[in-house]
Amino acid sequence: MLDAQIKDALIRIVGQQNYTDSLIDMVSYSYDASEHRARPSCAVWVENTAQVSEVMKLADREKIPVTPRGAGTGLSGLSVPAHAGIVMDLTRMNKILELRIEDRLAVVQPGLVYADLEKALAPHGFFFPPDPSSGKVCTMGGTVGTNAGGVKGAKYGTTRDYVLGLEVVLADGRIMRTGGKTIKNVSGYDLTRLFVASEGTLGIITEIALKINPKPTVTTTAMASFNDLEDAGRAVSEVMRSGILPSVLEILGRETILAINQNTDLKLPEVDALLLAETDGYTKTETEFQMETVLEVFRRNNPGMVKLATSPEEAAQLWTARKSAYAVLARIKSHFVLEDVTVPIGKVPALLKGIQAIAKKHEIQIATFGHAGDGNLHPQILYDGYDPEQVRRMEAASDELFKLAIELEGTLTGEHGIGLSKARYMTLEHDAVSLEMMRTIKRAFDPNNILNPGKMALDAA
Amino acid sequence: MEAKYDFERKYREQILRCSRCGFCQAVCPVYGATLRPGLNARGKMLLLKEVMDGRIDLSDELIETLFQCTTCASCTHNCPSGVQVPEIVKTARMDMVNIGSCHPAFTGMNEVLKKHPNIYAEDEAEEFGREKKRQAKYVFFAGCVGLYRETEATEAALAVLDKLKVDYTLIEEVCCSGVLEDVGFPLNDALVQTNIDRILATGAEAVITGCPYCARTLNNKPQYAPLRAQGVLVMHIAQFLQDYDLGVHTHKKVTYHDPCDLGRHCGIYEEPRQTIRKLAPNFVELPHHHADALCCGAGGGVRGAYAKNSIDMARRRLREVEETGAEVVLTECNSCVHNLGNAKLRKQKFTICTTTQFIRDLMEEAG
Amino acid sequence: MEFESYNMPDELYYDPNHYWVRQEGDLLVMGMDDFARKLAGQIVFVQLPEEGKALKQGKKFASVESGKWLGKVYAPVNGEIAAVNEQLETNPGLINEDCYGAGWMYKVKPDDVAEVQSLLHGTEAVQKWLTEEIAKYAKGA
Repeated sequence: MLDAQIKDALIRIVGQQNYTDSLIDMVSYSYDASEHRARPSCAVWVENTAQVSEVMKLADREKIPVTPRGAGTGLSGLSVPAHAGIVMDLTRMNKILELRIEDRLAVVQPGLVYADLEKALAPHGFFFPPDPSSGKVCTMGGTVGTNAGGVKGAKYGTTRDYVLGLEVVLADGRIMRTGGKTIKNVSGYDLTRLFVASEGTLGIITEIALKINPKPTVTTTAMASFNDLEDAGRAVSEVMRSGILPSVLEILGRETILAINQNTDLKLPEVDALLLAETDGYTKTETEFQMETVLEVFRRNNPGMVKLATSPEEAAQLWTARKSAYAVLARIKSHFVLEDVTVPIGKVPALLKGIQAIAKKHEIQIATFGHAGDGNLHPQILYDGYDPEQVRRMEAASDELFKLAIELEGTLTGEHGIGLSKARYMTLEHDAVSLEMMRTIKRAFDPNNILNPGKMALDAA
Repeated sequence: MEAKYDFERKYREQILRCSRCGFCQAVCPVYGATLRPGLNARGKMLLLKEVMDGRIDLSDELIETLFQCTTCASCTHNCPSGVQVPEIVKTARMDMVNIGSCHPAFTGMNEVLKKHPNIYAEDEAEEFGREKKRQAKYVFFAGCVGLYRETEATEAALAVLDKLKVDYTLIEEVCCSGVLEDVGFPLNDALVQTNIDRILATGAEAVITGCPYCARTLNNKPQYAPLRAQGVLVMHIAQFLQDYDLGVHTHKKVTYHDPCDLGRHCGIYEEPRQTIRKLAPNFVELPHHHADALCCGAGGGVRGAYAKNSIDMARRRLREVEETGAEVVLTECNSCVHNLGNAKLRKQKFTICTTTQFIRDLMEEAG
Repeated sequence: MEFESYNMPDELYYDPNHYWVRQEGDLLVMGMDDFARKLAGQIVFVQLPEEGKALKQGKKFASVESGKWLGKVYAPVNGEIAAVNEQLETNPGLINEDCYGAGWMYKVKPDDVAEVQSLLHGTEAVQKWLTEEIAKYAKGA
């Protein structure tokens, strides 16, 4: 329970109506979209940078942990208040401050929902390319805090490639700016990049300057099935080597396909893998030319079927399978863990096969789908969380999964972040020197360790 | 562990299926108006999960979220796991009432309906100057909102029925009492029986109502089975009018708000549009329409218990109307008309009314 | 004056439907009195008709709502609406916060300002009226 004096001080900063310690808020702020849970002492809704700064000054002085939060859709426990304290909900700071199309610039507040940014850019024919699957609800602060990816990563990269500058409030309440509003900027250390994917552990982001792109108006979509995983994997590598960049290259594994067929009327071919590809541009000639290259790759890798969508309705139909994957898998068992291990593109087949072997060895269901085009797969481990035996097997399978990814020269996480979920695997991927440097940086920014403490293995000595 | 509450007995598996993705935040009208995750569908499921796990218990502290849900089912419609939040919330409300934790507005409502024939505890229903209780092919059932708040809408519906020379009668109706189940109480048997008796006494083969909620109640609730057992059909006026050629037209830009109770809950989307398109060729859809329609904020008892938030929700819907540039927004629910009407700002120049009201106005203009 | 926990300023005129009236130049300002405000609870909606709308004494010209209660606003005098309190559009709670000040509702241009004299006025008259009203509506409230 928070000290009465501190409660009063917080209320003085944000106002009575923007402070809460009521049960219903404390419970909902205990969770994000991961399986972690920890209850905060209180929560505040902040409306501007000044309030954020005052709250941080107070928290730093009193050594109270602060966990920043947007929509709470993180999959690794990033916004779960592991050490209690204050949850700082930034969703009310949700405006677009500036939209300057000729400068390819949008300056936004962290609580802005991704879908609202898209809606504002669409009439100008522009878009923000990273397209996270949670775009309808996720907020830009979290998007920057995790360097969110999405289905367009293979061609357009991730959030990091589009953040030009930030306004950040540090742990002690000091306010600073990083980067700027120019497309190119090499002035001083690139602190912007330090904050992107820092998961709220180095500062609270209160303003984001984003680069935006003109939006291609035409897309061409196709799907191919592969009876053999190796063929699918080879097709992925060859597409990415072929000289064109598809805007989307997604994969659905066998387990996922079976689950989709059991729960929908889609009647997908029950094969080792389905690949969904999309090319984009400004004329049909252009997109079809690029897609022809993709289709040639598919054709020479023993596909079962190859289907090119000839209308927007057909394209939408091809997408339905990929879009329904997460939903269908979520219904199968009472619990699941969604991972996002990423490997070099050429290693995708090995990763897929490795996941199958792990599932078999530990007798647990793992369904895989994901962004084959940039090597970022989503193995989803399905289990009954109320059965301690299944939990044990899930943990053993997870362990092996991360080891496999690292062995394949990959990383623990391509886009969801480390948070709580993968903290204990950090030593698998990072050498002792780099981990020590991360902790040194953390100490420099947050000597009292109050910003989202307990995450990313930054606490361990 | 033995389930302590009905909501767990009936919905444990569904509540466990909630994967905490938070996608419901994109569509929940309460969350949209308050940005408070504790009030969102996910927040409710998390609380109920903690109750099931024995971490917390049902108590007064949960009133603010469990009784603040319009039961619009937008969340369910968008939930990757298909969790039927409104049903779970309604059952949890009953569990809350059973332990003595209920929102005062609703305990009040239950008491009101024990003594009064309507939810407003008012004694003077509007008189429409039409015959009641005679033998006729149809009964027109106005519902409480139609009798005590949106009386203009009811008068218009009756005027249209008159013009079409429909053989209908009114009855001394009482509250269908369906709303009680939404707020944690059982239907009021005395009121139900009164309605059944009075409808059957007219010999009518069908009931036409302007209230989608009454239509759902009379059609689906087991307490009204005797009515259906006599072969009496119950339909919403939108269904009744869909095949008529009303002979009136307008050039005005018209849009349509799908009421949750008619749309998502009954799947009735096209019948109202069929009628509207015949009258108003210059018809545009709202940005969120059909099963994606934004709730007006009045349902599930929210207008009575959390009126300020209810009106904020309505305001969000009206901003969508502004976006379309429509001059008229039509809908088929008196509750929606009322809440949207309250929320409309003076600078917003469009009119809000039921389709039948609009038809009546066009008929009068045509002479 | 304070009477039985209700604040009823002496200088105001009172319509028996519980709307207070005061003169402001050649206009009349009106709003809800403390008694009605307490009985109604949190006001959530105030109907604000267009300026220029004609008012007939004793006739309803607008409505006021709390959660489930609908109140009718009656014209205390003959005239027309000169102005409405636009703040009430998004902040109807002003009536609850300050029913005699910031929560004023309408300004009326009266046909004949003398009609105000037909309203209740003065400590004795108001107290007598309020006693009856309390007996009618507020027993046990």
